[in-house]
Amino acid sequence: MRRTRMLLMGLLLAASLISAACGGGPATPAATPAGSAATPAAPAPAGGTGATLSEFGDLPRHETLIVDILTGRVGSPDDFNNWVGWKWRDRGMQNLANEPLWSVDFATGKIIPGLADGDPVYNADFTALTIPLRKGVTWHDGAPFTAADVVFTVETLMKHEGFGDNSFFVENVKSVSAVDDYTVAFELKAPNSRFHTRFLDRWGCTWIMPKHIWEKVEDPVTFKFNPFIGTGPYKLHSFDPSGFWTIWEKRADWDKSPTGIMYGEPKPKYIIFRYFANEGAKILAQLTHQVDVVNVSSDGLKAVLTQCDSCRAYQLNWPYVVNNDPAQTGITFNTARAPYDNRDVRWALLLAIDIAEYMGIAVDGTGALSPVHIPSLSNYPKDFIQPMLPWLKEFTLDLGNGETFKPFDPNASQRIAEYARSRGYAVPDDPAEQAKLFGYGWYKYAPDVAEKLLLKNGFSKTSDGKWLLPDGTPWKIRCLTGTQLATGMGERNCVAAVQQWKKFGIDAEVYSSEAAASLNATGDFDVSSNWPAQEPWGAGPDLYRVLDYYNSAYVKPVGENTSGHPSRWSHPEMDAVVEKLRKTDPTNYQAVVDVGIEGLKIAVREMPGIPTFGYVGFIAWDQTYWTNWPGAENPYTQPYTHWGPFKYMTPFLQPTGTR
Amino acid sequence: MFLKQYLIPRLIQYVLVILLGITAVFFIPRLLPNDPVLRTIAEMRARGSYLEPGAMDKIISDLQQMYGLEGSWFDQYLAFWGRLFRGDLGVSFFQFPTPVLDLIMTALPWTVGLLLTTTLLSWAIGNLIGGFAGYYADRSWSRTLDAIAMVVRPLPYYIFAFALLLLFAYLLRWFPVSGGARLGMRPSWTWPFIQSVLWHSVLPALSIFILSAAVWFQTMKLVVQNVNAESFVAYAKLSGVQENRIVSRYVIRNALLPQITGLGLSLGLIFSGALITEIVYSYPGLGTLLYNAIVNGDYNLIMGITIFSIIAITTSVLIVDLMYPFFDPRIRYM
Repeated sequence: MRRTRMLLMGLLLAASLISAACGGGPATPAATPAGSAATPAAPAPAGGTGATLSEFGDLPRHETLIVDILTGRVGSPDDFNNWVGWKWRDRGMQNLANEPLWSVDFATGKIIPGLADGDPVYNADFTALTIPLRKGVTWHDGAPFTAADVVFTVETLMKHEGFGDNSFFVENVKSVSAVDDYTVAFELKAPNSRFHTRFLDRWGCTWIMPKHIWEKVEDPVTFKFNPFIGTGPYKLHSFDPSGFWTIWEKRADWDKSPTGIMYGEPKPKYIIFRYFANEGAKILAQLTHQVDVVNVSSDGLKAVLTQCDSCRAYQLNWPYVVNNDPAQTGITFNTARAPYDNRDVRWALLLAIDIAEYMGIAVDGTGALSPVHIPSLSNYPKDFIQPMLPWLKEFTLDLGNGETFKPFDPNASQRIAEYARSRGYAVPDDPAEQAKLFGYGWYKYAPDVAEKLLLKNGFSKTSDGKWLLPDGTPWKIRCLTGTQLATGMGERNCVAAVQQWKKFGIDAEVYSSEAAASLNATGDFDVSSNWPAQEPWGAGPDLYRVLDYYNSAYVKPVGENTSGHPSRWSHPEMDAVVEKLRKTDPTNYQAVVDVGIEGLKIAVREMPGIPTFGYVGFIAWDQTYWTNWPGAENPYTQPYTHWGPFKYMTPFLQPTGTR
Repeated sequence: MFLKQYLIPRLIQYVLVILLGITAVFFIPRLLPNDPVLRTIAEMRARGSYLEPGAMDKIISDLQQMYGLEGSWFDQYLAFWGRLFRGDLGVSFFQFPTPVLDLIMTALPWTVGLLLTTTLLSWAIGNLIGGFAGYYADRSWSRTLDAIAMVVRPLPYYIFAFALLLLFAYLLRWFPVSGGARLGMRPSWTWPFIQSVLWHSVLPALSIFILSAAVWFQTMKLVVQNVNAESFVAYAKLSGVQENRIVSRYVIRNALLPQITGLGLSLGLIFSGALITEIVYSYPGLGTLLYNAIVNGDYNLIMGITIFSIIAITTSVLIVDLMYPFFDPRIRYM
């Protein structure tokens, strides 16, 4: 009897182990023949990095670049239909395998033509445009890329409501046609001078479908598009059915991709996108050279740089971080709710912030300040912030009783520099370098002025210094934010703002919620860490994308989903600016800048949200196998592996020869 | 008699618990402020997608239609049961249009493989050693084991698991830092793949096994010490029965009942996954699938996983209940 039980137990254990071995459940079709079966046992390690080398199977480590997936474990690994829903496109789809018509490179401030062969050409009233296409490009399977693919894509998207871009094209496009193999013509239903930006990749855009594959598909909405066929320099090698890794292989005909045509041969033969469920494991993997590029937290970056001799950050010296990410962080007010519907209250809350302390709390002083609703990076300081400095210096607030106040502080950035020095960081003395690091000024710390603005609007203070609302009840602020309180840029803004407002006498607290996105959309908040303005393109002069989100046409009552900015702020003057921008030729550089500045001035005056610092990114590059990363000293392209132009970085990476 | 007085009422209770559990799981996520459609849109915006503000209402209604979230909750509830009886758990919202069943079946083998093995092993070994340690409580080896268990048991699992990772994956480099199998390998019935899975599962399994076995050890030791004080044990000793026979046949067997109930519950909980293990070791499984489903308001996926879990727990408890007479002849249902 006992023997029988032991036997049963043994069988059960064996079955469970085999069950684990089975792993993937339903068999997923192989991406390519090479990825369809278990790879043979690893060759013996050729040296260097320890026993874990066999982790890479038969991929030669010295020819393989390994990076982590920013957006996490891929939830639908066998589905590459990026035209429907979210498909974890940063696992190599947008950044290696796909080429868009144009891409934004925020490091150089340039728009890179991929499948396009130049700028779009609009007619005078912006109701029609033509797009020239690049010649000599082929898809991964060798079929030529032509205007027929573009026409087919737009027509297919218009036919099926399940596509995310369906409503945009249905509302805008009257007709699309191929003038010849390399020219596409659009006729629009109404003037739209920004129509082409739908094809401009800034971490996503409308991609072109290979007609010869999709035209045979019965239901394009549920089609998985596996294996992915693009025009980028890398093609799908294999993927993990559990979504932990995706491997891409350099095309043999890489010179038929826009990347190859423009920049030459990509250097890594294989690129692996790999997921780590926790930062500790990610760091350990980099310290043991099992991953070349990681996106980490501030503390994670410090740990890597301390422990790893072969690793570097974006900047070689303090503050090490990526400080040219085109997102302006800060605080958003719900202007549909009192008292945040009052401009004076919004300005009072801004003036209650000591920006040097704020920056210390939020990001240890590592971000670049911006006094306006776009970040201080790329061409924005030169085109917008610096030309606005005289206006900002003269900008005046009315405190009542004939009293006024000029809030702008051109020396605010120096205060951050002083904070950094007090922390022992090596801060450059050159003002130009300092401006790059810390921005071109911000606003004064003026709690006395904030007090006057609030008193003017009926607020009062208790004997122990606590603020009361005009109706006499205590003023409580809950700053709505996400759950990454230690690392998220939004979260860091809320943490810092709450500290400042508490000091000012407001009962403030951080409200961290997994549902922050939904609550922002329905307006169920007073103050949140949502970006204070829609992110700009990150290159070029056009702020249409930023300002149009304040359009009054999109404002919805609290409780309904907003289509525009979560602040629900709008202003007739801003509507007029947006309208003017729509009628301005996007290729007329100075005209676009001038209208953009008009919009930014209105946003500063009304302050629907407080712009604080530009998004701070933390990346670490291991240089054991690959060098010539686009660091701050040589920013030949944007530095992230999850952005689209990562493919344009691959021809410039240099193998070290380490095996 | 057994059928009428025990089995049928017990089966009715079993079915009711499942029905009520599934109903609760249907409604609870809908009470949360996390709207899956808004969450999807927010995620797309946060991840760089520029959604035309003028087309937002259309996008929202399209998504509601695709996710099957149109109509009242009651309409959705009826449609849900209709689908469930056809074996259709629907599609995941966040991983649209992947069927929920596909997602679960991809993750389930990893979770079951790891947790079934470690649960059974830790239960068997923890109880066996705990039983002997309880009977021979005054021996030095028993006290040593007890001291070790007292130190190990309160350790926070995350810290313990990460310490193993640091020691064996970073310092000694005996095992991989993360993952369920080697990069580039797809699941298959080949020895290299099975070998790779076993190699990758050593640390996750070890971390669960040690902490879990310590718990079974301590509880079994306490129960055995109580059984030891019973008069039938003293009688057996006085009758000259061999000590090993007393331990295995009389003491451990009598102490095993509550442990079997515990095993039943533990086996049922397997289907909830091992979230922290999956996070520390980047191990594929149901835990992170469920966590992400909750965070993203993915109602269908939450329901799919919890339905498995509810059925597993209630079934394992039912089986344990029905099997009690086999373990303890004193128990009769008639």
